[in-house]
Amino acid sequence: MDRHVHDRRRFLALTGALAAAPLLSACGTGFGGDDRDEGGGSAADDVTGAFDWKREKGATVKALLNKHPYTDALIADLKSFTEKTGIEVTYDVFPEDNYFDKLTVDLAGGRASYDVFMLGAYMVWQYGPPGWLEDLGPWMRNSSATAAEWDREDFFPNLLRADQWSLKAGAPLGRGGQYALPWGWETNVVAYNTEVFRRLGLKPAESFEELRELAGVIKRKAPGAGFDGMYGIAVRGSRSWATIHPGFMTMYARNGLRDFTVEGGKLTPAMNSPEAVAFTEDWADMVRRGGPPSWTSYTWYQCSGDLGARKAGMLFDADTAAYFQAVKGASPASGKIAFHPGPKGPDGSLATNMWIWSLGMNARSKRKSAAWLFLQWATGKEHLRRAALDGDHIDPVRRSIGRDGAYRDKMRHLPGFIETFETVVDQTKIQFTPQAQFFDATTSWAAALQEVYGGKSAKSVLDGLADDLSSKVG
Amino acid sequence: MRKRLWGWLADAALLLYFVFALFPVAWMLILSLKPADQLFSTYFSFTPTLDAYRTVLGDDEGIPFVRFFVNSLVVSLGAVALSLVVGLPAAYASARWRFKGSEHLMFTLLSFRFAPELTVIIPLFVLYQKLGLFDTYAGMVWVLQLVTLPLVVWIMRSYFADLTPELEQAALLDGYTRRQAFFKVALPLVRPGIAAVSLLAFIFAWNNFVFPLILTSHEAQTVTVGALSFLGGDRPKYHLTAAAALISVVPPLLLALTIQRYLVRGLSFGAVKS
Amino acid sequence: MRARPALRPYLLILPALLLTCGILYPFGLGLYYTLFDFSAAKPRPDLVRLHNYETVLTQDAFWHSAWVTVLYAVGAAGVETVLGVAVALLLHRSSLAGRVLEKILILPLMIAPVIAAIMWKLMLQPSVGVINHLLEPFGLGGVQWTDTPAGALLSSIAVDVWVYTPFVAILALAGLRSLPLSPFEAAQVDGAGPWYTFRRLTLPMLWPYVMVAVIFRFMDSLKVFDIIYALTEGGPGDSTVVLQIRAYLEAIRFQRYSFGISYTIVLWAVVYLAAMVLVRHLGRIQRKAAEVSA
Repeated sequence: MDRHVHDRRRFLALTGALAAAPLLSACGTGFGGDDRDEGGGSAADDVTGAFDWKREKGATVKALLNKHPYTDALIADLKSFTEKTGIEVTYDVFPEDNYFDKLTVDLAGGRASYDVFMLGAYMVWQYGPPGWLEDLGPWMRNSSATAAEWDREDFFPNLLRADQWSLKAGAPLGRGGQYALPWGWETNVVAYNTEVFRRLGLKPAESFEELRELAGVIKRKAPGAGFDGMYGIAVRGSRSWATIHPGFMTMYARNGLRDFTVEGGKLTPAMNSPEAVAFTEDWADMVRRGGPPSWTSYTWYQCSGDLGARKAGMLFDADTAAYFQAVKGASPASGKIAFHPGPKGPDGSLATNMWIWSLGMNARSKRKSAAWLFLQWATGKEHLRRAALDGDHIDPVRRSIGRDGAYRDKMRHLPGFIETFETVVDQTKIQFTPQAQFFDATTSWAAALQEVYGGKSAKSVLDGLADDLSSKVG
Repeated sequence: MRKRLWGWLADAALLLYFVFALFPVAWMLILSLKPADQLFSTYFSFTPTLDAYRTVLGDDEGIPFVRFFVNSLVVSLGAVALSLVVGLPAAYASARWRFKGSEHLMFTLLSFRFAPELTVIIPLFVLYQKLGLFDTYAGMVWVLQLVTLPLVVWIMRSYFADLTPELEQAALLDGYTRRQAFFKVALPLVRPGIAAVSLLAFIFAWNNFVFPLILTSHEAQTVTVGALSFLGGDRPKYHLTAAAALISVVPPLLLALTIQRYLVRGLSFGAVKS
Repeated sequence: MRARPALRPYLLILPALLLTCGILYPFGLGLYYTLFDFSAAKPRPDLVRLHNYETVLTQDAFWHSAWVTVLYAVGAAGVETVLGVAVALLLHRSSLAGRVLEKILILPLMIAPVIAAIMWKLMLQPSVGVINHLLEPFGLGGVQWTDTPAGALLSSIAVDVWVYTPFVAILALAGLRSLPLSPFEAAQVDGAGPWYTFRRLTLPMLWPYVMVAVIFRFMDSLKVFDIIYALTEGGPGDSTVVLQIRAYLEAIRFQRYSFGISYTIVLWAVVYLAAMVLVRHLGRIQRKAAEVSA
């Protein structure tokens, strides 16, 4: 037996004698209060008999939600869930800046304060390994627990796969447990201001080189053509993991680049390969020549806000970021925003990274059966169709809604939106290598990107990053 | 002549500072009066509207701001009251008697004010969940003692120290008990100090962000966390945040204007002789 | 109840003491966590004793953050002190303008710092922010405030200065108003110039009041979090990653709880020591000020 374990026992015995009971139980088993029973089967196995929406009548499900148009549409429709099932839903809503802090602390605290919550696919990599997320696979496969009309084949397959993982660093997505369900999502494409493109006689870029050129041209010429203070392209630049995953990662992947190489279960950082260094230099150069001023403070809000305020000629980010500015009455640029898949890679690749707002279940929930009914309703055809038509729940995670005539009519007034979506959808997937230190790695990556933008040599900065990450990730 | 020139220069410098100090507040006021679609397309000429205030106060965004406002009031006032009840006797004792360990205790109390919130936030979260204090008024009042108690003790201690003991001794000779001397003689004399310290403690409790962010969720959430909620969603609604922030300035401002005379002394931690 | 006189102070202080223990408890718990290697990746931690502190103190990242933190605290507290005292002196001349302005001096202090920082970020955004718009006629419309390491640090300090200068000013003003008159009268009789009076009388007597403000501002800005978090998130590069930002990233974002809390404990120790030195210093200058006014 190793020395640490022995020390720990002695130490705990000592503290136990001195400290009050809560101290011991808070720490003694780890502050996650790691008291879930291991090895037992899924609670889904307890559900038998014919499927019944009213199975959990009278129960209450507690949800933690992020302030978002998807959430607004969900809340507006909650009545129909309660009518259908007799289950009440209570919820807390937090803005995204605080949402994940809140959720993380709550899950780490080891309580079942919330039965269900919103999360992204990347969060599965952080929340999955400690056992905080319920594997929804057994629930989906149990026909007593899941209605036939839920129809898992209807989801875009890349989305369902993105929330599946075997919890092993570097193991590909799409195998292992289903730790969340896709609910609403974003592809990363280029949106542009049609006015400035028309006035300057420009066409959307088809290659990365053209995009860099185009961004510079807009920044030079647009202010003189009646677009006061307009620059070329808005992309995120703040010191946050969120800077890497939209436009940057999409273009990176289209250039055939990887974040890590995996060999025999070992991850090796690849952000400093000669090709990646060259790409990073080009990206920083594009931002310097055609990007926003004070780029290093740019988040989703500054980027999309500038497109709406007619300060950015293009936006390389989530299609929904541009959509929320493009809808009628949302901004001065409403009605003047068009969509384009963005530049192709050298081999014609339109590989695209994505963000999926997913819904997950707390592994410690005491009301899993009711929570599951909620999850299947919220990701079901009926609610999602209503949310897409009456609310702003786009992009649809279900193929049936993407094909739906009423949905297409609703989106048709946005030039290129549906076409762009359909062009990239099959090549859109999570382009990162799944691993638990994702947030550390991408935050450092963003900081490195800022330094390259600030004039430091891309090679030495990225070598330093790779060096730092190789000891942390794996 | 030269003196007058200096006077003008001094006034100009002062004015410059106040432009710096007040412009952001004025800008928040402007933001809060803008319609949503003119937030970024206009600077100073826009169509003013009270919509932002209506939205914030009418809970239209699904954010029950009025309830957060009431929560903030309850929690801040509760924290100040508890700090006074507990802190006044302590301050009195340490000012009147030099006893073993008093300086250490005083310094430890002060040092709480400087402790990084992150040290305690995760342990507190775990603890509160176990004790059922999470998302409750009681839990917030307790944790806010970190902010308010050191203020109360340190300021009130020097107020009591400034008070000559002879007054209380005279009262004792008149047959007052110690307790009566404290309540009937000492306390009324330091009333200005109590007013000032209450205001200060109230402001700091009211503006606290990290504790309510992590330790409350639905029932006991406060305005600082609530005001930020308007920045989520499809587009950041800065006009709503500005309106919410300005609304939440009202209680401390009213308090400040009422007892400004006392405030000056309170802010100096009682070091100032009036 | 009649307590023995010797016990009375202890009885009076008992409630505060109990409450203090209540507050100390989570601190102890936090300290306890740092002795383990507790993280999301390791929910069943092992005792590692002081290993976390060893790692923290041998990390380049820590020393970089410590350096930035000190720069920030010295910069913010320094500017606030000079500016606050200057504003107080100007207000003390008690012109009509001064009397009106004094009433609204406290306003910035009432906006929660996190909201103040968000509003400043919006104002400083070159594309749609109002400040660049106003500076445009002077050819400064293109200033990128937070885009360089120095610019980001200075901008964060500027926001801190905006929020907390009134705190120092109000304190200094109160000090000025309470200075005894007799030394000044004596100086006037001796025909001393205004500069001499200021250096030899006003400043030394005012210093204790200012010192209280300096202590508070310096200690508080050593543990700055919300202003930098809302304004720069620590960027560009690592240029504004102060200790609390690093601790937040480690403990909450990256879920290495034990390690992240170790950062804050080290920070607390630093602040505690600094406060001890400064409070002692305060005692000395209080005595010195008493000599001048006597």
